[in-house]
Amino acid sequence: MTSLPWMWWQGYVTVHLRGPGIEQVMNRAAEAGVVMLRVERLTSDVVIVRITARDFRRLRPLFRETVPRLAVSVSVLDRHGAPFLLRRFKRRLFLAVGFALAALFAIYLSNFVWFIEVVGNSTIDLPSIRAAVAETGLKSGVPKRSIDAQAVERHLLERLPSLAWSQIKTKGVKVEIHLVERDTVETDGQQAGHVYAKRDGLVTEILVLQGTPQVREGDTVLQDDLLISGMYYDRQGRRQFGAARGIVKARVWYQAVGEASLVRWEPQRTGKRHRQYVLTVGPLRIPLGRSYPQETHLENVKNWRLYLGSAMAPLSWSRIEYEEVEWMAVGIPVQEAEQAAYLLAWESLLGQGVERESVIQEKTAVDYVEDGEGIRVTVRVEVVEDIGQFLGQ
Amino acid sequence: MRPAVTHNLKRKFAHALDLPPNVVLDHAVIQILGDGEVKIINHKGLVQYTTSAVKAKSVQGMIEVGGLDLEIASFSAQEIKIRGQIRQVILK
Repeated sequence: MTSLPWMWWQGYVTVHLRGPGIEQVMNRAAEAGVVMLRVERLTSDVVIVRITARDFRRLRPLFRETVPRLAVSVSVLDRHGAPFLLRRFKRRLFLAVGFALAALFAIYLSNFVWFIEVVGNSTIDLPSIRAAVAETGLKSGVPKRSIDAQAVERHLLERLPSLAWSQIKTKGVKVEIHLVERDTVETDGQQAGHVYAKRDGLVTEILVLQGTPQVREGDTVLQDDLLISGMYYDRQGRRQFGAARGIVKARVWYQAVGEASLVRWEPQRTGKRHRQYVLTVGPLRIPLGRSYPQETHLENVKNWRLYLGSAMAPLSWSRIEYEEVEWMAVGIPVQEAEQAAYLLAWESLLGQGVERESVIQEKTAVDYVEDGEGIRVTVRVEVVEDIGQFLGQ
Repeated sequence: MRPAVTHNLKRKFAHALDLPPNVVLDHAVIQILGDGEVKIINHKGLVQYTTSAVKAKSVQGMIEVGGLDLEIASFSAQEIKIRGQIRQVILK
């Protein structure tokens, strides 16, 4: 029997029948081979039936013949289905072309990876996994056929040693990275080895817990010099090789330089404003409007992104407001510049691993840079710290 | 030949050849699916259709389906499929 989807494909009409002899009309139509679907009784003399457009054309003469006698009025309420849709599209050619292009574009876009999902990581942070994956060329916007899943899996295992297993699965436009991390086993201190100097210094104190000291208080050591050897003699006088352990404190000197300008360039708005819109589809950036150089314009960017549930769609819309500026030189007081340079130097020292609490002496030297527009502060600090570093064999 | 005699002959013929009687005797088949659907196969025409009753002719007599919110899901020369809250099916 005919189903509604099949009728939709063929094209069907909703026919409104009104009158007292509707059942007879339906019987006549059925005798003529017509199949009616979803026959609804609306009122005592009104029935709505759905029949294919082809059947309705066949029925027209029959209705003309029988309907006047039976006093049933027939009218078409609506037309549905593929043939009517096509006819509508023929009238609106550009709409049809737009639909076709949109469908083709969607099919084209489905050949790319738009989402990358990482599953199973607990201790390894997501940015480092994403970075490791990106090194293989797998990122949002790449063609699916360019993905070598096995190569990515291998690279992940090499790049992230705490991984035990990895698997790449492609599901439509999404790539799932399934990971299993290793169970960590503490091995520190169990391995045989020596303690070396991790930087130059003057030894002030040495405490050996295991092993044989190779330096004495007052010795000057260089980076990578042996401080405590893992070789020792046990109580029976036998020579043993184990893990050297101990603390070697030394005076260590650090130096850092910070520079600050005596002139600050401040933007003065001229009042001219420009606007640009940018549509981003995956890796494709489509600017609508002119761009302006950053040297002469300040940018104020506002982004809108499309989210599909919790996933981020590769489609975004940005509005960039450009404000034209002229840069004016403003003098900075020497003390303020010196302070800024000093802070920069200290920032560098902290980056080298210096702890403020362990500083026993600090020296600062201030001089001007060659062009006279800046100030340079050199900070030298002396700290006492443990310079020992265990290296296993 | 009188209809009763013809019918009798057909019935004996179907019985002798082990043929399905509904085919030989042109009987209507009524299928009831739960209380939501009734299918009448081999009917002889729709007589009445309202939201509370659908009546159709058959060789055996009048088949009457009673219920609430009845709707003819499909209608053809061979088959009527009725959906709704079916309360009774009567063969008169």
